[in-house]
Amino acid sequence: MSVTRSAEPLGARRGLASVAATVALTVVVAAIAVPALAVAAQALRGDSLTEAATRILGSARTWRIVAATIGQAGASTALTVAVGLPVAWVLARFRFRGRGALMVLVTVPFVLPSVVIGAAFASLLGPSGMVDLRGTWWPILAAHVCFNTAVVVRTMVAAFDASTVELEAAARTLGCTPVRAVTRAVLPAVATSLIAAATIVFLFCLTSFGVIVMLGGGSVTTLEVELWTRATRQFDLPGAGVLALVQLVAVIAAVGVQRRVGARSGSTVTPQDDSRRRTVRTLGAALAVAATTVVVSMVSVAPIAALFARSLGYPREWTLRHWQNLGSVTDGTGLRVSPLDAIWVSLRSTVLAASIAVLLAVVIVRRLSSRPARFSETAVLLPLGVSSTTLGLGLLLVAGRPPLDLRSAVWLVPLAQALVALPVVVRTLLPAHRGVPPALLEAAATLGANERRRWWSVELPLLVPALGAATGLAVLVCLGEFGATVFIARTSSPTVPVAIERLMSRPGGEGFGQAMALSCVLVGVCAALVAVIGWGSARMQRRGSGPTLTL
Amino acid sequence: MKSSTPKTSRRHRAGGRYRHALAVGAAIAVMATGACGGDEPSTSDGSGSADAAEKVVLVTYDSFALPEEAAARFTEQTGATIEVVATGDSGTMLTKALLGAGDPEGDVIFGIDNTLASRALDGDLLDPVAGAASESVPEQYRLEGDASQRLAPIDTGDVCINYDVAWFEANSLEPPATLADLADPAYRGLTVVSSPVTSSPGMALLIGTIAEYGEDGWVDYWTALRDNDVQVRPSWDDAYYTDYTVSGGDRPMVLSYASSPPVEIIFSEDDLEAPYSAVALGTCTAQIEYAGVLRGTQNPELAQKLLEFMVAEDWQKELPATNFVFPVIDVELPEVFELFAERAENPATLPPEQIESGRDAWVEQWRELME
Repeated sequence: MSVTRSAEPLGARRGLASVAATVALTVVVAAIAVPALAVAAQALRGDSLTEAATRILGSARTWRIVAATIGQAGASTALTVAVGLPVAWVLARFRFRGRGALMVLVTVPFVLPSVVIGAAFASLLGPSGMVDLRGTWWPILAAHVCFNTAVVVRTMVAAFDASTVELEAAARTLGCTPVRAVTRAVLPAVATSLIAAATIVFLFCLTSFGVIVMLGGGSVTTLEVELWTRATRQFDLPGAGVLALVQLVAVIAAVGVQRRVGARSGSTVTPQDDSRRRTVRTLGAALAVAATTVVVSMVSVAPIAALFARSLGYPREWTLRHWQNLGSVTDGTGLRVSPLDAIWVSLRSTVLAASIAVLLAVVIVRRLSSRPARFSETAVLLPLGVSSTTLGLGLLLVAGRPPLDLRSAVWLVPLAQALVALPVVVRTLLPAHRGVPPALLEAAATLGANERRRWWSVELPLLVPALGAATGLAVLVCLGEFGATVFIARTSSPTVPVAIERLMSRPGGEGFGQAMALSCVLVGVCAALVAVIGWGSARMQRRGSGPTLTL
Repeated sequence: MKSSTPKTSRRHRAGGRYRHALAVGAAIAVMATGACGGDEPSTSDGSGSADAAEKVVLVTYDSFALPEEAAARFTEQTGATIEVVATGDSGTMLTKALLGAGDPEGDVIFGIDNTLASRALDGDLLDPVAGAASESVPEQYRLEGDASQRLAPIDTGDVCINYDVAWFEANSLEPPATLADLADPAYRGLTVVSSPVTSSPGMALLIGTIAEYGEDGWVDYWTALRDNDVQVRPSWDDAYYTDYTVSGGDRPMVLSYASSPPVEIIFSEDDLEAPYSAVALGTCTAQIEYAGVLRGTQNPELAQKLLEFMVAEDWQKELPATNFVFPVIDVELPEVFELFAERAENPATLPPEQIESGRDAWVEQWRELME
């Protein structure tokens, strides 16, 4: 049944839904554009334009920071590829006990909030860790590798799976050594996927904020951190605005590259039949599997284990105190409320934010899927160019003064979180919506269903599996959001990531242990969420509603 | 198409169930919105039943500790509870307040120190009603002229280098006495300070060094500090709790407060007879913290009352033990302060107008040099 999509899907542009879609798109554009414009306006207002631009762009320090930002992103990406690529190859080639577990483990850090990763590495490489590497780039690079290995591994396992078993075998038959077969036949075939994965990692590292705030120790600075410091501590809003523009240019360039590369690599993931993987027979293979297990444990398990051990007082003592104190305000920790209060603040704001993000996304996806793919996906990616700190700064500027006084509004933080989560949600929903077969809609129309009915009875049910995953992702992003939230959250009602950062900023004393325990709570919540998402989508697949999408 | 009919109907049922789930989700979201309605966790004291008219909001920085007994006395006298809204460290607090100048999120702001006072005055943040509160305070702490109408001094404390007494004894080294000592090779690699960009004691030190070495000489002095391996940390907490030898670090000289030695006694778990640290009295810079009534307050009368209350005896005498600062009026000090708090005779300071005209450029220069 091959039905070509009509240029204008039924009912995508007419009626109530269309109006709703337009309103939603406007809201989103306004919510992202207004703060960005406020930042720009702040930077460009009156005489301060030339002054701030000359001051910031003329300062050698600014360019040192730009170089450092790009340099650390590049180094993080190279390290991540160096760690992730061999792991992906072993996971793609061999069948062994625990392979599935390794696949899951390697993904774990990616779904954790950046602040938690920051806390974990601070507990390993910070002042009270094994080695004190404050003021160097190493803790940051390590955290970025931990966080992003999942991107490389998952993309590359899929790429290796796609076709290269035969390719490798052919190369071997033609007399290549095993290493040569990989370097000459396999790697060129997966190069596009590798570049795509690397670009995404680079983009993440370029806009990394939480990790650097937690691990930079003040002396290691990137554009995001500099923007934050300048705006909040130096009250240099024009300067921060100029930095936001510099950041915008850098990120748009990176997104541009990503789009070009991403367009060329068909990123369709076809889960591969396990039987095509080799069993481990040779010593070399066994060693490779063992090494992979060790690497994955170091990257994924060690940081989380460290968090847990430190929350129990290790190495000085063993105590449950930090866990027991989660419900109370502890003096000298820099946190004015109990960690439990922060958990409540986070839960409430996440429920709101994820609802906003998913509802907006559902409406937007309808609108976007009637457009050419390239246009709509770029439109959705663009908000990523406005980094979370820029968004936070913009909201601080817009919300902090008349006519809009939202500072005490309970939905200011959820709004920020929703905007940060929105691109992820839309990107999850868009392919599913594209997959709705026009024939079904046409059939429904023939049977007399009006537009609303078609949406309700055909499109929405088909979206449900993707909707579940999208909601889960939205919750994950909102729960961990830090860059925008830290600008606008009050210390008297912090979200969990903000609370962790506050606790960690008071080293020594009880704050550290509480930060560790609170981070563990967040790890637990995120892990549970991922498990639920995984279980949900597995159920959907069994039910058969998954495959019908690829009619 | 035929074969897909049963599938479609199953999907219909499934769809129905998920729509139900969606509806439940929406309901939860709505409830969450409702539940959120204005229940910002309040750090106020006393009864939670006070409505808007009986509440006065004190905007301050994160580490401020409300003097609980005095706050209760205030509620007894006026019927109003004090709600503390903390919006960041002192710099961030001021930035946020300035962005909302004229339309404040509270009634009184506390925690603007002498290094940032001019920024608040410039931003037209405050009502000129602090005169009455300022009057009872000795001249030396008051801002001059019109400025004293907007900002009332609340507490003072000197920012000084502290040193680890036992470390210097064990290493038979003469303890440091002056700012010049920090650049002395004899003390190479021994000092940790905090950054003027992100910490208020750090800013006080920068001001102190400019007062000492002049606008022409301070860059050379800081260059010498850098060459003498002085460590800069982002916050006082970082410097004091991770690098200072008393906390287990490896540097026996730290930028802290003149009140730090008695605070060590207050915080010690076992009965400490004398503090671990002593103060290098020749390195001190005066820090004064001010409060003012936010322009646009909905409660001008209560705000005025709170401001005056903060300069009165109940509040002032509780400050040393809660916030580790000295009162600005003559009240009895806690015993540990009487015993162990040394105060510099002539702490360094700069005139407010000089700080105002130079501060931002100094910070930029300092960052170029040190970061």
